[in-house]
Order: sequence, then structure tokens, then C-alpha cells
Amino acid sequence: MMKDPLEEIINIVGKDHILSLPTQLEHYSVDGKKPNLTVFPKTTEEISEIMKVASTAHLAITPRGGGTKIGFGRVPDKVDVIVCTARLNRILEHEASDLIATVECGVSLKKFQAELQEKNQFLAIDPPHVELGATVGGIIATNDSGPKRLKFGTMRESLIGIKVVRPDGSIVKGGAKVVKNVAGYDLPKLYVGSLGTLGIIVEGTFRLYPIPEASKTYLATFPNLEIFQETVLSILNSSIVPTCLEVLNPNLIGAISNKLNLDLKKQKYALAVRIESLEKAVSDQISKVKQISDEKNGEGLLLEGDIEESLWQEIREFPWRISCDNRTVCKASILITDVPGVFQAAEELCKKSGLKTYISGRAGNGVLIFAIEVERPFDYAQGSPQEEMLAVVDVIKSLRALVSSLKGTLVIQDAPISIKSQVDAWGDLGTSHKVMEKLKNLFDPYHILNPGRFI
Amino acid sequence: MSSKPVTKPSNWKKSFADKLLQILGTDGVISSPDEIIAYECDGLTGYRVRPICVVLPKSAKEVSEVIKLCDNENIPFVPRGAGTGLSGGALPTEDGIVISLSRMNRILEIDIPNQRIVVEPGVVNLWVTNAVSSSGYYYAPDPSSQLVCTIGGNVAENSGGVHCLKYGVTTNHVLGLEVVLPDGEIVEVGGKTLDHPGYDLLGLFVGSEGLLGIVTKVTLRILRKPESIKTILAAFEKVEDAGASVSGITAKGIIPAGMEIMDNLSIRAVEEAVQAGYPVEAGAILLVELDGPSAEVEAQTPLVIEVFKENWAKEVRVAKDDDERTLFWKGRKSAFAAMGRVSPDYYVQDGVIPRTKLAKVLGEIGKLSTKYGLRVANVFHAGDGNLHPLILYDSSKSGQLEKAEELAGEILKVCVDEGGSITGEHGVGFDKKQFMPLMFSEEDLDTMYLIRCAFDYKGLCNPGKVFPTPRTCVEVGRTSYREHPIEKSGLGERF
Repeated sequence: MMKDPLEEIINIVGKDHILSLPTQLEHYSVDGKKPNLTVFPKTTEEISEIMKVASTAHLAITPRGGGTKIGFGRVPDKVDVIVCTARLNRILEHEASDLIATVECGVSLKKFQAELQEKNQFLAIDPPHVELGATVGGIIATNDSGPKRLKFGTMRESLIGIKVVRPDGSIVKGGAKVVKNVAGYDLPKLYVGSLGTLGIIVEGTFRLYPIPEASKTYLATFPNLEIFQETVLSILNSSIVPTCLEVLNPNLIGAISNKLNLDLKKQKYALAVRIESLEKAVSDQISKVKQISDEKNGEGLLLEGDIEESLWQEIREFPWRISCDNRTVCKASILITDVPGVFQAAEELCKKSGLKTYISGRAGNGVLIFAIEVERPFDYAQGSPQEEMLAVVDVIKSLRALVSSLKGTLVIQDAPISIKSQVDAWGDLGTSHKVMEKLKNLFDPYHILNPGRFI
Repeated sequence: MSSKPVTKPSNWKKSFADKLLQILGTDGVISSPDEIIAYECDGLTGYRVRPICVVLPKSAKEVSEVIKLCDNENIPFVPRGAGTGLSGGALPTEDGIVISLSRMNRILEIDIPNQRIVVEPGVVNLWVTNAVSSSGYYYAPDPSSQLVCTIGGNVAENSGGVHCLKYGVTTNHVLGLEVVLPDGEIVEVGGKTLDHPGYDLLGLFVGSEGLLGIVTKVTLRILRKPESIKTILAAFEKVEDAGASVSGITAKGIIPAGMEIMDNLSIRAVEEAVQAGYPVEAGAILLVELDGPSAEVEAQTPLVIEVFKENWAKEVRVAKDDDERTLFWKGRKSAFAAMGRVSPDYYVQDGVIPRTKLAKVLGEIGKLSTKYGLRVANVFHAGDGNLHPLILYDSSKSGQLEKAEELAGEILKVCVDEGGSITGEHGVGFDKKQFMPLMFSEEDLDTMYLIRCAFDYKGLCNPGKVFPTPRTCVEVGRTSYREHPIEKSGLGERF
């Protein structure tokens, strides 16, 4: 008689580190698909043993960090076991003089940053969900990022070494503990954004930055998008080097300024420019930003200290504060010069369908985040079509068509199942999708990792 | 690699070359021995192989047709840019052809507001900056060979330069590629916009050393030129103090554009060659370049000087003007060539170490130098830990080249032992493939081979490079399978 593979997995991690009661497992559902088991391994070796069992028995595995982005991707075909990295939570090494650190991937970004801060350093990435416990592994797997990507890029730039467990259980590494390294293929980049479909990420090595001496943000509002875009292009084409350059639509800046009691005119487009450097250099650049803004009749506020931090936190977190039953979050990547057009189209499409949308955009990168809010929660259990749900689907389809015609891309980051079942989360993967499928088939021949969610 | 047809007619090379002529015309195929000689090696001149012929396609379509023909007839092909690579990445194979991209050298699109430029792979690195310079922009990666090396070659090698610490290497500046895959299919990877959904094939392709396909179009990010640049030179008695200054600078929250250290032997050679005005008695000099908004550079300069003084600098000079700045850099940039003044031959290596290990590693290199009886000069991209030991030898003395290579291998071992890498920017290529197991286990290498198999199942694209032992995709693929219980229990089998 063959052994029950779930029993084998329970034996690997020990009975104290599993969840198997239906009531407990509910919380670990992925798009409504409830696993049969959730396990909390402590070591890379345990994960390797789990993968060997799963590979032999063809169990579908979903890796999970803090669970904050478990809604990314398509509805999975199958979820048997959730492998949660919460107990792989050690900071292994922080060599401050080298500006490099290595951590286990279940470490939360919050804990990691707090540790680095003691040596006046930071990991140059500011994705959402940090307060809710987003883990380093989850951020690598989703390549999630925030406004600071203008200056520092994403995980793609920060991750220099990686250790993963492949679906066959082999433990492999790529990269090194040095910033510059071209030995072999760039395995860290392959795993950034691979959404847990090529292996379970267990360790990461990162390049770090010193925390700048000073930071200030100039927040200005503009009567229309044309003037707003002229301002953006003037700043980008100047000697100013902003850390963040963010555009906010009237709904979003209205909500944020209510919450933070900012003295701002509402119903206008807002631009937030963050400068970080030595004190004197910050003041000098901020005055240049103000000068450009004044020339375009912008009305501005200078923010620093706690209120500045709060503003950026709101910008990152706002879309995700909407209840998950009422929200659809998308990311569009377009050219810098196409930002106003797509911005406007999104607002008009939503307005026409009576949907409320909050938009923030990385104006210097051409990356826009749309959160569409509906008033009545979607019927999660039934997924029954409703008028509003269909309107959201229409908006996404129209926006995707527009963005595609501009050679950009639009992906759904989070949406109720009823939406995801009607419009693909990823859209067209382009002419190289066949190579991606070959990679997936070679790495994971039985498709045990996150089947259906991504590649 | 898949097996060749069992019997080939004796004139198969000639008939293969004829088929290439049909695709490319007479000016697109080089097969005369006199002309082929230039393609027998790249910058690693110690190894030479004569290919069947060299082809010079002018478009992605021609590249694709050539590759389809190679695929049909199982002929290996080696892509080549300007041939400046230092690791033998463009070394031909005897029964294969070289595909030179030198005729695909057009700049296709300049898009200043979106900070992008689209070029063909044969475009020379410096041409990119020249094309956007009048608009106030530049292309950041600046390998020392930037006057001749091509963007296609930079993509293959993931080239660096002296400004990597702040601005990154080639992979951080390539946003899109058009690639001819090893079966001849033309695909797009990435594009002018960011965050294309799917796996990061762009990240895999950059630095793949020509093993995954041939790039026929490249979209690059261009950057706004910094408002101000300041170069500061500091001389130290001890290398340790120069190294400590590097960490001291970053501890002040400053990330300079470049930080370069040269040891005494390098300083002396350089002074003899170009008279850069370096203090020849110094144990080490550190060049620091700050760039950015003027106010920032002005505020950083005194802090950097303060760090130098804290670390016992004997002398600190701030370049007064562009001329002096150029002179400071001239010394560093001519370091390799200057070795010719102090030695008949030199062999350059490309190890990487965590920068805090510099003093220790230089100590080890000193011991190895004594052991082998060969002098070693060191130049060091101190910001990112990339060490270039220059091993001085005399090829007219028998056995010295072999000794130099052996010494280089020992230095790479020291680098890896200290947590570093066998190559920071020159690539593994043919030169260093035997050192890959120093850094990577068999499983790590198998994983990289799986990537190769997803692109090039037959292994025709630039074979014999990077991987220490030849494998086939069938062998490697087998490792990722596990027996299904039905197979285990003998109830079924896989076929």
C-alpha cells in the first residue's frame, strides 16, 4: 500500500506545524480554493523533502509568505498543500560595510528594514502591504514595488543572490554575495516575478543603500492633465533627481487629504515629488521643483517628517484598503508620454459606468495603479454576474485594448473570482510565451507549483 | 549537443557555405583563409579556432534564415560583435560558423521624452551616448572598450564599467530585445515599457554570453546627464586605509558614481606610461567620482575629504577643472596598457570580492605572487568589489604563460573563498568555464542548463562555453523528473 502523501508531509514538518481542520484551512484559500493541508516548515531541507513527496504524488503546492498578494494571478487549477514560509524568518547576515544582507525569505520586510535601520541602511524597495506582513520571498515572487522604483528600481535591481528549492526537491542557488557578478545565468532575475511557479524561494541576498540624511516632498495640484504632464516632463528633463514622482487622481488625493487633513484644493490632479539626499541638496532641489510648479500655476505644500511618511504610506496602501470583496486592482505599464492619455481614459471609462476609481501613477516610470471600487460587494461564493461586475470587466477590457495599442501591458493584481473568471489576469504574454512555457515544463514537468495561476 | 549526420560528403563545408551565399550574397559570407583569420579569436588571443566561414547578415530575417539552415543541418554557430571580449566568448567552433553582427549597426529610434533609444546590435557603445548627448542624455554602462565594443556584445556579457555602483550594469539599462532563437524563430522580449508580464527572459538573456540566441534589436534606457561631476584623488600609505575609506564614504550616506583603487605597482606603471601626476610613493590611490545635482555634489565633497583624512590619507586632490579630471582618469583607464611598460606580457583577471575583504585578498595575492615568482599589479572597482589583477609574465620564457594562468586560477579561488565571484564583467566564456564548479554545485549548474535547454535544445548556439562539462538536454531534463507512484509500483512506465 502506498503511503498517504499528506501524512508523509505532516511527518516531515511535525504535527505542531500544520493546519488541517477545515475551519483553519478556510483562511488559506486561494481564490476560493481551499487546501487540504497548510504546513509551516522550519528549514530549507524540510521544504526539499516536501517537494519530493509532492513531485512524486503530483500534489499541487502553493507557496505562501505573508499571504498579502495571494490574489495575484489567475484562479489556480488546484490547491492541495500550502507551504508557508513564516518560520524561515532569520536574518542570516548583514555586512553593513559591504552594504549587503542575506535573509531567509519568510522574514517580513518590516522586520528586515527595522534591523537594517539600526545600521542606518535600508533595502531600496517600498511595496504595499508592509504593515500587514509582506515577506521578502513574497515580494520577490511577485516583483511588487512602490514609488521609490523611480530611483532604485524594483527587486530586479536589489536581489543579487538567491537560494530556491526546485519542484524536484533540489536546493539550488544563483548569483553571489557581491553586487557585480556575471558568472552563469542570472537566476535571481528568473525568480523575480515568477509567482512561485518555478520553485520555492528560501533565501535572498540583497544590495542595500545608506539611509539618506534628509527627505522632503513637494505636493502640488494642477487644474488639468496637460499642465500636469508638462510639469512632469520639465522635472524629468531637469537636473533634479527625485526619488519618487507620483501622480494622483482627484478621487485619490481627495481621500488622502481628508485622512491626513492636508490643506489642498480638491478635485484636481496632484503631483508628489520626493527628494532625498543631504539636507542642503534636498532644500536646493525642492526649491527648483517649486519653481517649476509655480510656473505652471501649481498650488503646493511642502511636507516633511511624519506627515511626509504618512502621505507616501497612503499612496502605497490606498488601493488595498478597499475591502477585497469590493475592489479590483490593476497595473498598467506604458510610456511616460502616454500617462495622461491612459489616465484620462481610465477615469472616463469608470465614470461612464458609474464606477469609482482611485489612480496613482509612477509618472517617471510609466506605471499606473488603478483601484476600482464597487459599492456592493461581489458575491464571492456564487460569483454570480452582476451589473457592476460586468461593468468592471468592460472597463478592464477597454483599458487593456487601449494600453496594448500603445505597446504597453495591463495586468490584474487583485480581483474577485467572478472578475478573474471573465478576463485574464495577465493578458497577452507576447511572442516569447512559448519559451516561458518550455522553462516551466523543464523546471516543473508535473506542474505542481501554482498550476494555472501564471505560466 | 545532438549528433552530426553519420556520414558527410567530403565537401560538406563547401556546400554549406554555398547555401549561406544563397541567403546572404557574396558580400555577406567570408570564407577566404586570409580574411577569416581576423575572426579566429576575440580579446582572449591565446586561443584560436578557424570556423567554416563567417557570415555578415544585415537583418533579423537574414539571421533567422542562417540559423534555420544551421538548425536543419546541425551546424553550431557563434555570435560575434566587435570581438573585444576577454573570456573567449566569441571563440569559433571548428565545424561551425561565426555570425558577425557588425553590419547591423543602425540607430533605429531616439525617443528623448520617454528616455529610450532603439539600436541594432552592431552599434558601438559610445555611439549611443553620442546620439543623445546634444539633448543632454547619455547611456550609463561604460566598459573600457566603449570606443569599439558593440551593444550586442554588451548584452551578451552584461558589461559593466567604472560607474556601476551608482548606475548598475547593462542588465539595468536594457528594456527590450528582439531575439532570433536557436531554432530561427524571431521573438520580442520586453519592450519600451516596463514590467512585461511573464518570466523575466530579458534578465536571463542579458549576460547569457551568446548561448540563448542572437539579439537583433535592443531597446535601452538613457539617462539625463548629471548637472555636476567632481573627481577626487587620495593617496594612502596602506591599501587597507583606501579600502576603509570606501566603506566610510557609503557610511556617510553617499553613493559615488565611481570609486577606483590602484596599488603601488599599477601607480608606477601608469606614471611611467602617461604621467597622470599620481604620487608614485603611495601604497594605494583611491579615485572617487561624485556626480548629480550641483548642490548635492558640493555638499558631499567636504564629507568625502573628511573620510579620507580620518583614514590617514597622505594627500588629497580635488580636480580643479575638466582637464585635471580627465588626467586623473587617464591614468586609471590606461592601467592595462601601461603594463606593457613594466612587462613584456600581462594576463588580466576579473574576480569579485566583498569590498571589505580587499586588504586580506591583496595580502593573499601578494603571497601567491611570491610563490609563483610573477609580479601582480591590482586595479580595483572598489565600489562594487570587482578586482582586476594584472599578472605580469614573459611569453618568450617557456612555461610562463601556463604559470600566469595557474596563478590567475588561484586568485579566483581566493575570491570565491571570500564569498565573491569568478567574474564581474568579462564573462565566463571559454576562459573560465573550468572554474564554474568553484561557485556552483552540480545541481546549480544543472538548473542553468535547464534554462539553456528551454532556448536551445540541440545546443548549437555558442557551444563549449560557460558550462564546465558538456551535457545534453535529455540528461539534464531527466533530473527534474521524479517517478510517479504508478511507475514505482511497476504498473506503468513513462514514454
